[in-house]
Amino acid sequence: MTSPRVGIIGIGQSAFKSRRDDASYPDLVREAVGAALSQCGLGLDAVEAVVYSLSPDAMVGIGNAERLGVDAVGGRNKRFLRINTGGATGISSVAAAYYHVAAGACDVVLTAGADKVGECGDSQTVLNKIWDPIYERPLPQGTITMLAMSAIRYAHKYAMSEEDMARVVVKNRRHAALNPNAHLRKEVTLEEVMASRYIAWPIKLMDCCPQSSGGGAMVLASERFIRQNRLDAVWITGIGHCSETYYIGDRMGTGQTADHADAYALGKAFDRAYRMAGVTDPQKQVDVAELYAPFSNTEYHAIEAAGLARPRQTVAQLNEGRFSIGGEIPVNPSGGTLCTNAIAVTAMIRVAEVALQVSGRAGGHQVKGARLGIASGNGGDHQFFGTMVVEA
Amino acid sequence: MSLNRRVAVIGSAVVAPFAGGDRSLEEVLYDVSRRALADAGLTMDGIDGIVVGSNDQFDGRAIAVMAASGSVGGVDRDILSTPSAGEHAFVMGVLRIASGHYETHLVVSWSPLEASSLPEAQRLGADPYFHRRLPLDDASTFALQGAALAAAWPAAGALADRIMEHRRAHAGVSPDGAGAARPPWPLKEGMLPPMASGAVALVIASQDHVRRHGVANPVWVRGMGWATEPAFLGDRDLSTAPALKEAARRAYDEAGIGDPRDAVAMAEICGVTPYQELIAYDALGLSRREDWDEDVRSGRFLPSGRLPVNPSGGVAALYPVFCAGLMRIEAVARRLRGQREAAGLAHAASGPAMMYQTVLVLGTDAGEARK
Repeated sequence: MTSPRVGIIGIGQSAFKSRRDDASYPDLVREAVGAALSQCGLGLDAVEAVVYSLSPDAMVGIGNAERLGVDAVGGRNKRFLRINTGGATGISSVAAAYYHVAAGACDVVLTAGADKVGECGDSQTVLNKIWDPIYERPLPQGTITMLAMSAIRYAHKYAMSEEDMARVVVKNRRHAALNPNAHLRKEVTLEEVMASRYIAWPIKLMDCCPQSSGGGAMVLASERFIRQNRLDAVWITGIGHCSETYYIGDRMGTGQTADHADAYALGKAFDRAYRMAGVTDPQKQVDVAELYAPFSNTEYHAIEAAGLARPRQTVAQLNEGRFSIGGEIPVNPSGGTLCTNAIAVTAMIRVAEVALQVSGRAGGHQVKGARLGIASGNGGDHQFFGTMVVEA
Repeated sequence: MSLNRRVAVIGSAVVAPFAGGDRSLEEVLYDVSRRALADAGLTMDGIDGIVVGSNDQFDGRAIAVMAASGSVGGVDRDILSTPSAGEHAFVMGVLRIASGHYETHLVVSWSPLEASSLPEAQRLGADPYFHRRLPLDDASTFALQGAALAAAWPAAGALADRIMEHRRAHAGVSPDGAGAARPPWPLKEGMLPPMASGAVALVIASQDHVRRHGVANPVWVRGMGWATEPAFLGDRDLSTAPALKEAARRAYDEAGIGDPRDAVAMAEICGVTPYQELIAYDALGLSRREDWDEDVRSGRFLPSGRLPVNPSGGVAALYPVFCAGLMRIEAVARRLRGQREAAGLAHAASGPAMMYQTVLVLGTDAGEARK
C-alpha cells in the first residue's frame, strides 16, 4: 500500500541555556508548543493526538515526568503517549507522530518535550545508570567514556587526530554563532579547543556537548489537512530506525557484531530512509544534514553512515570545508548537538532544523538553495538510531 | 477516522509471575518473545519492528529498553519504547503497521518486582513541589477514587463489597484478603491485589500478511481509542473517567458499535479495585450508575452472565503493575483466537488513578461476517 504524505507545519524551539530558572519543566514544554502552534496558526483544539518526547526520567528527577507535561501540551482527554529511545527520542517521537498520521488515525499530531539537563545535577551520573549494573556500570561507564573508546578506535582505524576532532568543534561553533536558538554561540579557535582539559582521553571539554535546558515541539499534519487549510509545509519523505547491541563489549574484539569506531546501525537506518525517499546517491542529492553528534569525533562516523563521504576521506574533506556552511554539503549548520543538547528533544531539533533549512526559514545559518535535508538521532549507549529525510 | 489498514493479533504469550526464579529479566523477555513468535508460527526473521513498554523506575535502570532490546530481538532492527504505559506499545505497533511501513510487529511489556519498592518508585512520579511528600502512590490514588465515588454515589461501598465476593468466588482471590493487608481507606482488605511480576508479548500483523500467509484465527483490531486525564488529581473528578469515555467513544465509533452492552461477548477490564471496576463499567457504557445495582446483583458480568468480565481472573488474580493493561489485551485476543467468542472488549488503564486509558475492540473473522 502507499502511505499518505505527512508534512511538517509547525516548529517551536525554546531558548536553550545551561539553566532555565525562569521556567518550570512544564513551562519549557509549553514555550515550545506555543511557538510551534503559532507558526502554523493553529490552536490546541486542532491537535488530535500528542506524542511526548522524553528520555530518562531521572534527568528530570520525576518518574514518568511526561505526566506533568500533559497539560502543557493540551493533552487532556486526547490521544497521548510517550516515546523513549534515549538520545534518539526526539527523532523517534517525530517518527511516532508521523505514523499516527500515515496510519490514518489523525490529521494533526503534536510532538513535544523538554529537558532540564543543565539542572539535573550531573548528567553523567544519571547516564551511568543506563548500563548493566553488574558488568558495565561499575567501570564506571558514561556516555563520554563510551564515545572516547569509539574515538580511539576511529583514530586507529582512519587516522583521525585530536586536532581533527577540534576542527569539528571550530566548525560547529562558527555555525552556532549564526543560530539564535543555539546554547553555545561563542566561536572558538583550534588552539582553545586543544588547550581545554581532558574529560576522557582523547575527548576534551570543548569536544563535548553542553548540558542544556530547553524544549522543542513540532506539528505534523496529513496532506489533506495541509491542502484544505492552505498551510505551508515541508514533507517527511524518508524514515529509518535501527539498533546495535546493548553491551559495549559486543562491539569489540573478534566476536564483534559491529565495530565501535563506526556507526553501523546508523548506516542501516539511513539506508532505510533513503530507500523510502528514493535517495540513491546521497552525496549528490543531499543539500544539508543535521547529524546527531554529541562529541566531536562522532560527527565523522555519522557523516560516513549517512553516505556523505567515504571513510578515510571524511577527515580531510571536513578540514577542506566541504561540510561547512558555504561548502558542498553543510553538516550541522545549526551548530548541532555539539552546541545544544537538551537530550529529550535534541534529535527532534535535528529534524526541525532540517525542516527550517528546506523551507528556507533557517535565518542566519540558512544553507542556500537547500531542498532535501537529512537528520539523525542516536540513543542509548550508541545503540538506537533514527534517521529522516525531509524535502521541500 | 478509521485506520488505513487492518491489523490483527496473530500470536501471544504470557510469563507471569516470574519473580523469585533463577532467571534474569533478559532471559524472561527472551522466553516470552520466543513463545509469542512460536504461537504466531514465526521466527524473529519474520518481524519488521518491535515496540516495548518499559518503565525505568520499575526496572531500576535508566532507558530500560536498552537492556531488553537484545532479548526481544532488537539488535539490527527497528525498536521503539513507550514508557508511558505497557498498552501504549500495542497502540504504537498497530499504528506503525496501519501506516503501511511494516507488515509485522512484536509488542512486549513487563513489570518486575525485584529492582525496587514499587510504591516508592510510584511516589517519585508525583510532582516534587505539591504532591510528593503526601506521599502519593498508586494505592493512595486508587483509594481517593474509591472515596470520591462513595461520596458521589453512596451505594458504591456496598457494590464494591459485592464485587469482592464475586472476585473471591470467580477470580481465585484469597478469601482472607490477599494483597495490601491495610489498604488506605475506603479500600478494605483484599481490594488491592498483590503486585506481581509479569511479562507479556503479542505478535501483530497486517491484513496483507494474514492473507498472504493464510494465518488461522486472526483477531482483528476493530476499534482502538486511547486518551489521558490531566496530570494533577485536583483537576479531576475522581468519581468519573472522562478519558476512558473518550477512548471508548473512539474505539466504538471505529468498530461501528452503538451500544456496547450487547455488541461484545466478553470483556477484560483493568479495574484494580472494585471501585475502579464500577467507574470503568460506567465510562465504557457497559453499566450506567443507575444500573450498577441490578447488573452486579444479577451477575451480568460473572463468567456465567450475559457479558462475562475478566474471565481470565483479571487484575484481581494477577497484577503485574506496568504490563497489566497489555495483559488485558492479550487475554481478550487469546480467548478470541480460541474461538470462544467472536468479539471482545479490552480496557487498559495505567498511572495514578487510571490516568492513561486505552480501549480495544477485537473481533474474529466470524465476528466480521456477522456484522
